[in-house]
Amino acid sequence: MIVMRASDKTMTCAEFQDALPELFESQTDLSGHDHLKSCENCAALVRDLEYIASQARLLLPIQDPSPAVWDNIQQAIRREKPEPPVSAVRK
Amino acid sequence: MAGPTQPRPANQHMRRNPPIAGEQEAIDRAREGDGRAFETLYAMHKRRVYSLCLRMLGNVAEAEDLTQEAFLQLYRKIGTFRGDSAFSTWLHRLAVNVVLMHLRRKGLPQVSLEETLEPSQDDGPRKDIGARDLTLSGSIDRVTLERAIENLPPGYRLVFVLHDVEGYEHNEIAEMLDCSIGNSKSQLHKARMKLRDLLRTGQRKEQIA
Repeated sequence: MIVMRASDKTMTCAEFQDALPELFESQTDLSGHDHLKSCENCAALVRDLEYIASQARLLLPIQDPSPAVWDNIQQAIRREKPEPPVSAVRK
Repeated sequence: MAGPTQPRPANQHMRRNPPIAGEQEAIDRAREGDGRAFETLYAMHKRRVYSLCLRMLGNVAEAEDLTQEAFLQLYRKIGTFRGDSAFSTWLHRLAVNVVLMHLRRKGLPQVSLEETLEPSQDDGPRKDIGARDLTLSGSIDRVTLERAIENLPPGYRLVFVLHDVEGYEHNEIAEMLDCSIGNSKSQLHKARMKLRDLLRTGQRKEQIA
């Protein structure tokens, strides 16, 4: 958990950005952070990073492997499977 | 190679891995050696496993090879699936392990992970962020984001895909990549910063064109 320090109001951009990885992980709403109230650059940065993370969560698998992949899997499985005894095949 | 550990259920995993109709029956039959049932499992999961491989590797040929390898591992190990987690969660973890094994053999991920620990001028967060009209919100389409992810350095890409796309927790990623949780968090942050950079650069180029 991230504890808001008294010095948050006077944080520099560098200090705020150093703390950002942990601030994101704390899952607190950063919009109320004192530094962001007075720094449009860092506010824009936070908005962008949150947006990128949210868009990434929406990415779905949309591409299929080529049919050759399944062909190769089948061939490999056939090679791995023990062949039936010759006598059984002849029957 | 060790089989996939049974990951703890997580909301993200459950959201991304909902039960699939007919899956359990196919699993049961495939465990008994039914080839048709295995083919059904392949059809159900090939897209997701391939996308995972492709996003982690950024290379179609390698992604296809490792999709093949992941399903061969599945064929060999399906009997060890205990059902403690969703089958798809277990399979995707198996696929992640296959990709990581491959990268380790190539000597890639650890090197990249360490290299990217050193912030470069390019990735540094403290540069002037610039005008407000260059914020990204509401302006990235899926294709653009996929392309930007593809262009991330391999170490960044791994952590970003595992955390933000696949929904793994930092403790799971740290275990997979054999790094600290702090390192995983730090890499993720740098990956998002780099992505922002790549996306903003793309937007600037579009504006100029």
